[in-house]
Amino acid sequence: MSKNIEIIAFVTLQKEKVLGGNPLLLLAANEEDQKQMTQDIAKALKADVVKMKNGDYLVISHPR
Amino acid sequence: MGDGMLSKEYIIVIVTATIVGTLARLFSLKADLRQYPSYPNGYLINLFVGFIAAAVGAVALPALLTKNFTAITFLTVAIQQFRDVRKAERDSLKDLENTEFTKRGDAYIDGIAKTFEARNYISLIVSFMTAITMLLVKTKMVTLEILIGAIVGFIVFYLIKRYSKGKSIGDIADVREGKIEVRDSELFVDDLYVTNLLGTENGQNLFQKEGIAVVIYPRERHFSIALDNFGQRQAILFDAARALGVKRYSFTRKEYAEGRIIITFVPIIHDVNKLIESVKNTPLLESVKKSHSVMQTNLVGKE
Repeated sequence: MSKNIEIIAFVTLQKEKVLGGNPLLLLAANEEDQKQMTQDIAKALKADVVKMKNGDYLVISHPR
Repeated sequence: MGDGMLSKEYIIVIVTATIVGTLARLFSLKADLRQYPSYPNGYLINLFVGFIAAAVGAVALPALLTKNFTAITFLTVAIQQFRDVRKAERDSLKDLENTEFTKRGDAYIDGIAKTFEARNYISLIVSFMTAITMLLVKTKMVTLEILIGAIVGFIVFYLIKRYSKGKSIGDIADVREGKIEVRDSELFVDDLYVTNLLGTENGQNLFQKEGIAVVIYPRERHFSIALDNFGQRQAILFDAARALGVKRYSFTRKEYAEGRIIITFVPIIHDVNKLIESVKNTPLLESVKKSHSVMQTNLVGKE
């Protein structure tokens, strides 16, 4: 099974989680902003979204 | 027979056997329409290669009888050609992978390519048997010889077709509709976890409203070995997706306790019966098929 899943972005509300590096780490102002940012990135890149139990979002891409 | 010219008798044998062999290829193409894309050019290519196979089978015996032994070496060339048919089919299907709703997968492609190679051998054998029959049955009526040759040819075709026919998912498993449930960003089918990829509200609503799911229940526990195979599940998902189209998302999931397999996606056309039918008709891939009886056989005298 070859699944090269890639994390494109990590969208969080907690400043201390934004450490830099790869993937793109984004700090949202509030929950609404977080949802909107995640959705916009996912739509633009035709990617999937995982909502983690702690409230952070991962935007991930599956190769077709 | 003289001056290198074939006699009328042999010409009748060759022509009849070639026609019967080509018809055998045509009938096997029709029976295999589900596996084969229905674009006319692909259909024509396979029919023409089938005609070549039939012609090779038809001339083999008259060539021997007229002491043209070198002509028999064409058989080896033909076999190489048929191997190329398998390779060409495989390359063609692999090239199309990125244009499909979901991937066919290497196992399914390998199965289809092998089938197409085998179909040419069917053509060859059918025309060969037709030619043998016509040369053995000597009557004064040419029409009767042709008729008997064609009948034997079609009987051989029927027997080989029956022998080479593989099983499908419906033969080893029951397929029932699954109940979709979205809990936060997680997707469940019949209470079985499938994925947590529904992170957005749009995705959750889409799956809850328009998603479709089936659950495959193996009839015997050992059938799970074939059904759990990734290539087999990919083939099932591909056939299901091709039958209904995919608007968004497509997942398969296996469950080990009862050996259930889940197939779920958001289709373009929401038709559960059609989905169940297409899953049942998905071929059981030759490369993943395991013979339970052979595995139980005491081959080397072990206790």
